[in-house]
Amino acid sequence: MLEIKNISKTFHPHSVNEVRALQDVSFSMQKGSFVIIIGTNGSGKSTMLNAVAGTFLVDTGRITLSNTDITRWPEHRRATLIGRVFQNPFSGTAPTMSIAENLALASRRGLPRGLGWNLNKDLMDQMRGRIRTLNMGLEDRLNNAIGSLSGGQRQALTLLMASWLKPELLLLDEHTAALDPKSADQVIQLSHEIITRDNLTVLMVTHSMQQAVNLGDRIIMMHRGKLLHDLTGAERKRVRVDDLLSRFEEIRRKELLDPAAAAMLQRNYI
Amino acid sequence: MNLLTSAFALGLILSLLALGVYISFRIFHFPDITTEGSITLGAAICAVMLVKGIHPIIATVAGFVGGGLAGATTGVLHTKFKLHGLLSGILVMTALYSVNLHVMGKSNVPLLSARTLPSIAEEIGAKFVKTSTRLNFLGWELNQQDFFVVGASFLFVTVVSVLLYFFFRTNLGTAMRATGDNPQMIRALGANVDGMIILGLALSNGLIALSGALLAQYQGFADVQMGIGMVVWGLASVIIGEALVGSQSLGLLITGAIMGSILFRLLVAIALRWGLNPNDLKLITALFVFAALILPNLLRGKMRKAVK
Repeated sequence: MLEIKNISKTFHPHSVNEVRALQDVSFSMQKGSFVIIIGTNGSGKSTMLNAVAGTFLVDTGRITLSNTDITRWPEHRRATLIGRVFQNPFSGTAPTMSIAENLALASRRGLPRGLGWNLNKDLMDQMRGRIRTLNMGLEDRLNNAIGSLSGGQRQALTLLMASWLKPELLLLDEHTAALDPKSADQVIQLSHEIITRDNLTVLMVTHSMQQAVNLGDRIIMMHRGKLLHDLTGAERKRVRVDDLLSRFEEIRRKELLDPAAAAMLQRNYI
Repeated sequence: MNLLTSAFALGLILSLLALGVYISFRIFHFPDITTEGSITLGAAICAVMLVKGIHPIIATVAGFVGGGLAGATTGVLHTKFKLHGLLSGILVMTALYSVNLHVMGKSNVPLLSARTLPSIAEEIGAKFVKTSTRLNFLGWELNQQDFFVVGASFLFVTVVSVLLYFFFRTNLGTAMRATGDNPQMIRALGANVDGMIILGLALSNGLIALSGALLAQYQGFADVQMGIGMVVWGLASVIIGEALVGSQSLGLLITGAIMGSILFRLLVAIALRWGLNPNDLKLITALFVFAALILPNLLRGKMRKAVK
């Protein structure tokens, strides 16, 4: 399904700001699987997602999706295969355009856009039906500008838009991190419903250990641009929030050692 | 032609400029200075073809196409070569000055005896009304020729703006509007943002050149200097239009840009009549746009303070 082979990405190479965001990362996932990536800040988890989405091209390595090599594909071309929900609720929708127009744009994801009429009655009826499943009362506000909606409502709509045409792969980039707890729960519930209903293949990044434990069938832990742990099968089923936290604590201790050692060297020799 | 009628006709013709500026500045949030060169390019291409005796409709369409190419060039500089939007426009505008001189062969092409769209409108009008040369339109005494020129301009602008409205409601047009609104989102939905910007600027400058082609035919000459200050004029019309309709809906904003252009021309005509020095016109227009851009924010700040 998705196959990532030895990809690396360095931002600002050969400068003081050099960041080796991904270092020789490889992993693959099956069709219909739901993989969750967790990691510390700057671990490269979002970079990983963006590498798949095509926000930038990787320096080395290959990315294959549905038996197609997409390594050199620009972002908009990858959108034919990939649906995305962003961390920022403002990123996934066009604020001055109406709910209906946004959904209509999503209904042609990856398809050629010609001079056909954008909104027709069939599509509007279909929209009303699908929006009703959100239980947010938005089905009667199709002509309202998206900018007037709350973050949670926007994220729910973005989710609907990303999955309007069944994507080969759905990317969720901390899509509840910017929401209040109640909306976050709502959006997670909705994600779960859509993913199980359409049997989608999902790659999700999250900050929340709780989400990582409750959702998905595989957990990947990243650190400093590398895959550190890959929990699948029985190991994944046994894992609890505390186990994940203790693994993070382990990383933190190792990290502490290095700056402390550096400080000691500085004191003694400079 | 009396002052009001000519202001009205000029406002209609330049409303196409306002629509072009509306597309680049408002829909794409792209400060496109190409305008000043493309409006002259449209006028130059059209005028040269008219002098050669080519049919005015073909000459006008050729002006539109020329402007479209100029806009596409700006778009390519911005998207493919990653130049700043403003700089891309400045480069193309500067280059167009020479191009326009080459097209015209001299700095001014008069259209005294050439057959133009306004003269065709007058001919058609003459077939319908044979009696008097003065017409009464809603209590407004009008020269019959002027009446048909203004009427034809009105018809032309209406057709163009309705087409534009329909275009922005198609799949392609909606994707274009979304590109200006949120490029990240439309890219994730599979639209080629670079392509959208290039196409959008081509459309914008096409309309602006179309306005230039009509302007040359209306005033009877094309001049290499005629583009100076046009961006600010277009922007002033768009701002007036937005104030008039006070709405976000596409149809109203397009109508507003046209009404803004006409109102702006009428205001200019009245100011000139009252003895405004024509040399000060551009300074005052620039000040007006400046004020219109900063006043809303300033007022909002004052109100917030007052509430506290």
